[in-house]
Amino acid sequence: MKIVKKVKVKNKFGLHIRPAAAIAKILQSKKSSVFFTYKNDTVNARSVMGILSLVIKKNSIISVSVEGVDAEITMKEVTEVLNKCFEEE
Amino acid sequence: MPQVKDLYNDFKEYLQLKLVTGKRGLCREIKKAEVHSPGLHLTGFSKHDLHSCIFVFGALEIEYLRELDKKKAIERLKNILSEFTPLVVVADNLPPPLSLRLVCKEKKISLFSTSKTTMAFLSRMFFLLHEWFAKTEVVHGTLVEVFGLGVLIQGESSIGKSETGLGLLEKGHRLISDDVVQIKKRGTSLIGFGPELTRYIMEIRGIGIINIAHLFGAVCVKTETTIELIVHLEKWNDSCFYDRVGLEEKKCNFLGIGVPLHILPIKPGRDIILLIETLALNHRLKATGHYSAKEFTEKLRRNIKNQKFNENREKSKSEK
Repeated sequence: MKIVKKVKVKNKFGLHIRPAAAIAKILQSKKSSVFFTYKNDTVNARSVMGILSLVIKKNSIISVSVEGVDAEITMKEVTEVLNKCFEEE
Repeated sequence: MPQVKDLYNDFKEYLQLKLVTGKRGLCREIKKAEVHSPGLHLTGFSKHDLHSCIFVFGALEIEYLRELDKKKAIERLKNILSEFTPLVVVADNLPPPLSLRLVCKEKKISLFSTSKTTMAFLSRMFFLLHEWFAKTEVVHGTLVEVFGLGVLIQGESSIGKSETGLGLLEKGHRLISDDVVQIKKRGTSLIGFGPELTRYIMEIRGIGIINIAHLFGAVCVKTETTIELIVHLEKWNDSCFYDRVGLEEKKCNFLGIGVPLHILPIKPGRDIILLIETLALNHRLKATGHYSAKEFTEKLRRNIKNQKFNENREKSKSEK
């Protein structure tokens, strides 16, 4: 099963190390392959460096593509992280 | 898309550019990888669409413009240059004629002069534009230069790509990029490099983010390399048959160019770093004309042939 969804990044400082690590943590137990596309660049969401290299700022809309047996739950959890506002110090 | 100011700021010295007029045109985008000398178009021939092209005026064009009546020159220039023209360059250090300056000002086009000859400027521009507009692909993997050979290590997440890369660095090889590798086509070669932000940075599970250039020194890093080998790491699967002789060559395609692919199964006791070093050395050996597997097959074939010949000879002797 493949799901593609456009998601707005709500975190104040964009997709920095913490949200990227949180996404990698979620995906550790998931079987689906997850890709983020932003400004024509597509990266594997399991890669922290990959997400960071996209340099995504607040309110940017990214395309999330999830494919696999647990696509629905994976998409739900990834979207939650992208919508979440991390506590910034 | 690159802007005129990117070209001006980054390659001012390489192209020997001097801004004459049209500061406001610096923000204009360069949309096409095309550079033209207006030549015939100055005579009024305008069947070919040259919008969005970069124009280079050489000695001949400038001479022709000077000889033309000012009004006519402006009219002809207006037919060629438009609000889509990114920039105009006058080569050979020639002073741009008034008509050209007026039209560039009106159309808000950046007008430059260069000390380079038309040919030298054109060749440098072609090279730059070719680089800028070259197709790029982003892949997941670790790119390391092993014995001077660009080896792209791929495989599923958490298979140990970064750890293998780290092991290779420890042995004196060079890191180009970890996790995110950008690939660009240059002629018939594939050039691999990392995004500026994550350059020389590695993320190792259990350690975190480390800077390779700081840890191992500048000798262990490189900005780009030609990708000549792909190594795909995968978990050992007993039901899968792995290459035992090396006679078949698998290829992986990036941007229309095939690169030799080797699948390396991971199992306790298999030293992946040593295996990758051996693969790289074997690849270099092949490039020098020595193909171990083929050479061995040939030797074996010769031996079998000789054996048959000897058998036949003995047979015929005994019959006699």
